Amino acid sequence: MDTDNSTAVAETSEDTSPTTAKSSDSVVIETRNLSKIYRDFWGRKKVHALKSLDIEVRPGEIFGLLGPNGSGKSTTIKLILGLLFPTSGRVLVFDQDASETQKNERIGYLPEESYLYKFLTAEETLDFYGRLFDLSAADRRDRVKQLIEMVGLQGAKHRQLKEYSKGMTRRVGLAQALINDPDLVLLDEPTTGLDPIGTREMKDLILGLRDRGKTVLLCSHQLADVQDVCDRVAILHQGELKELGRVSDLLKVQDVTEVHATGLDDAAKAEIAEVIARHGGSVQSIDNPTATMEDLFLNIVRESEARPGARRVSQAAETKDASNGSTSDGDQA
Amino acid sequence: MNLQLDDFWSFYEWFFRPGAFLESAALKGIVLAVLGVVLGLVVGYVISSSRYGSGEGFFAVARAVRDLFRFDLPGTRIRRIFALARLAFKEAVRRKVLYVVGLFVVLLLLAGWYLNPQSDDPARLYISFVLTATNYLVLALALFISAFSLPEDIKNKTLYTIVTKPVRATEIVLGRMLGFVAMGTVILIPMGLLSYVFVTRGLDHTHAEVADVRELASGGFEGETDYTRFHSHHFELNEAGEGVTDMVRGHRHVVIRKEDGSFRVGPAEGALRARVPSYGSLVFRDRSGNLQEEGIDVGNERLAGGYGSAGISRLIGVSRGTRKIEHGYVEGGGLGTAEYTFSGVTADRYGDSIPVDLSLRAYRSYKGNIEKGIRGSITMKHPSKPIESNPIGFTVNEYEVDQKFLPLEIEGTNGNKTEVLNVFEDLVDEKGRMTIVVRCLDDSQYLGMTPASVYLRPTDHSFAWNLAKAYMSIWLQMTMVTAFGVMFSTFLTGPVAMVATAVCVLLGFSAEQVYDTRHYIDAGIERGGGPIESMVRLLKQDAMTTQLDVDTVAAKVIKTADAGIVYTLDAIATALPNLPKMVNTAEFAASGFDIFGAILARHAVATLGYVLLAFLISYFTLKAREIAA
Repeated sequence: MDTDNSTAVAETSEDTSPTTAKSSDSVVIETRNLSKIYRDFWGRKKVHALKSLDIEVRPGEIFGLLGPNGSGKSTTIKLILGLLFPTSGRVLVFDQDASETQKNERIGYLPEESYLYKFLTAEETLDFYGRLFDLSAADRRDRVKQLIEMVGLQGAKHRQLKEYSKGMTRRVGLAQALINDPDLVLLDEPTTGLDPIGTREMKDLILGLRDRGKTVLLCSHQLADVQDVCDRVAILHQGELKELGRVSDLLKVQDVTEVHATGLDDAAKAEIAEVIARHGGSVQSIDNPTATMEDLFLNIVRESEARPGARRVSQAAETKDASNGSTSDGDQA
Repeated sequence: MNLQLDDFWSFYEWFFRPGAFLESAALKGIVLAVLGVVLGLVVGYVISSSRYGSGEGFFAVARAVRDLFRFDLPGTRIRRIFALARLAFKEAVRRKVLYVVGLFVVLLLLAGWYLNPQSDDPARLYISFVLTATNYLVLALALFISAFSLPEDIKNKTLYTIVTKPVRATEIVLGRMLGFVAMGTVILIPMGLLSYVFVTRGLDHTHAEVADVRELASGGFEGETDYTRFHSHHFELNEAGEGVTDMVRGHRHVVIRKEDGSFRVGPAEGALRARVPSYGSLVFRDRSGNLQEEGIDVGNERLAGGYGSAGISRLIGVSRGTRKIEHGYVEGGGLGTAEYTFSGVTADRYGDSIPVDLSLRAYRSYKGNIEKGIRGSITMKHPSKPIESNPIGFTVNEYEVDQKFLPLEIEGTNGNKTEVLNVFEDLVDEKGRMTIVVRCLDDSQYLGMTPASVYLRPTDHSFAWNLAKAYMSIWLQMTMVTAFGVMFSTFLTGPVAMVATAVCVLLGFSAEQVYDTRHYIDAGIERGGGPIESMVRLLKQDAMTTQLDVDTVAAKVIKTADAGIVYTLDAIATALPNLPKMVNTAEFAASGFDIFGAILARHAVATLGYVLLAFLISYFTLKAREIAA
């Protein structure tokens, strides 16, 4: 009957106690032991879409959910939004249960495809969504105008959405998600259907949101996008969390050292290990080489397929790591 | 128009049924609400315990109820309801729903094909045509737009972007209902105006020529109008050359003789009206002059029907049998009479005469003089004192409203004296009551009447207002169907929701038949039985009044199963709104009767109740539903 899943006390009772003390600003989204099983009409299990997911999204970060099709990314987003009810575990958004309508005041959501009313024009669409928030008529008009300009649809704002191209619909969808100037933006495949310029603009926009202190959760299988914009990612495969951490950390190849140096002659090159240690040419950088997101992703997926369920992320260690590292390191640059 | 028991009830009587609370609408409402709550809790518990386990299921249900009162109702904002209603309205408009008005215009344009121009009562024909057409069109429309919208939104996932805004389930449901009702209103208004124009223009005519005019000895004239629209009138004019024609097909014309000796016939008058009847209480006397509650039953008058007014008390078996008001008959030649006692007979309500309308039936026990109708008389009488007027004779005009005007001064008897009586001074008692006695004058022939057959008519209301009231009734029905459609669409797919709503509408319409079947089963009368038994009878080609011709065990099984089915259907039909009663307001308008305010008020309250119920069910199902599943 109810969406609320504080019900699953049996599974989550241990987790419940500490969070109540947490201040609302330390974590924006928290999933605890979140599972989702899709059942058919007769209650028979069809798919175990999500298995005991524990993630935390912190304020001001861009968090990416990464995974192949059917890995549970969209399910996670829908659970966070209360569009689905968890089979067990729970989701807290701004410290409220996902089934609370109140949380939506501070949330913007761009669905996988822009599910908008085709019979409305862009302006009517934004006006309609604006009316669902507590905005004065003047504010609403301003915001609608501003958002239409931001997504570059001034010329087409009086056309019905059914005449729009996919990219244009996408832009309206994005504008709709930002109508309430949300603190948390959930983007489901934000760059699909956009041309390279549109993709670039979308990425800039996401980074812009972060710069304004917003929290962004996006899910995607466009690896390059994730690599470019996300601070942290969680990689899901077959409903299981396979990897979680800072993008920079995840892409670091730990057992290899890469040296970039100039001004060394051939002799020095021959003795390079010593030279670096003792002679000291001018060392420009000594660092771990980074793989691409693609390598990491494919590795995880292959490994997971070879040994299903084997890889486990130790959540506590990982998050501690990340949170310690995030502010001081500055290795993003 | 034959009024039933419950048509006479005032709003208060309908709602509380003083003395018979089991029949009251209030009780029905309470039972529905309680049943709704209990069923809701049980279903909710079953669903959530299957989701979360038995213990947690209980909390989930409790939380859902708490959420409604703690968060969702207080959090509901008119602003968002309006935004969603506007969306629903726009959706309907962009789906070209307004074309229905166009369809209606086409229906009116083609009306000539199926409206019989030779009808004896063209006003009834026209009015019931426009109202029936509107009613069914609008109900069908309400069915379509309400049942498909929400499932469509879920299928297209457009609802995702709505429920992820701070929109509450209450607002989604109310927004839909409001939007569609607004749409229906926008459609009904032009339909109403068009209907008014169609009816008034359609009945408007005049007669250009007069024929066979002769001068009367008194100085007046009499003659015939020409034959236009399949009828002509006879008229008589006074010395001043003014007069009216006789009533033909429910209307007459004013005829004026102009100075040049030509005649001018005015427009049709009296065809469109809204009589405001003042009904009296009816008692009968048998041939020996003894008081009887009912008149003589001359045949199969009250076999079935009229159960609906008994409400819950019928469902639980406290009141049994039909309560249909049918004609009671008065025998001619003896002391048999029917006595109507009217209240509020005061000089300020009536002008220079008291209009009284009769719609009586005649029953001949022998052929008699077939050329002439059965004769009767009416007598005005003081309710308690032995003062009465001389009888005024009439010949029965069956299936027509016979309009008479009772004079205010009339000869009569006061005790043993014969004198000229003044109606208001001599025949009306201090409470303003007067009795009208109807007798049959032909030996062993019978006059039949119901409490609605004889009434005084202090005023008429305007036809336009009456038509507006009929449209309000259609509006209420539309609102009800919309609410049901939205309710079903919160948990069924579009087509299924539409079928479910349609089933509710149809079951509501055929409730009396279900009650009938139940009555026969209860009373042990062989009338074909329930669905299984009638199927068996059909296959075996048995008549419906014979004993069921199968072996005892089979008969027992069939009858038990049938009783189960019929009782269930009965319970459902009782729970559903009484749509036939609401549609029946069209009959009032068509018959030229003012639609009683009480009846409209009852429909309005019932509609409100059902909308509320539908709203609550919709809220909980929507809330319990995984939008993205």
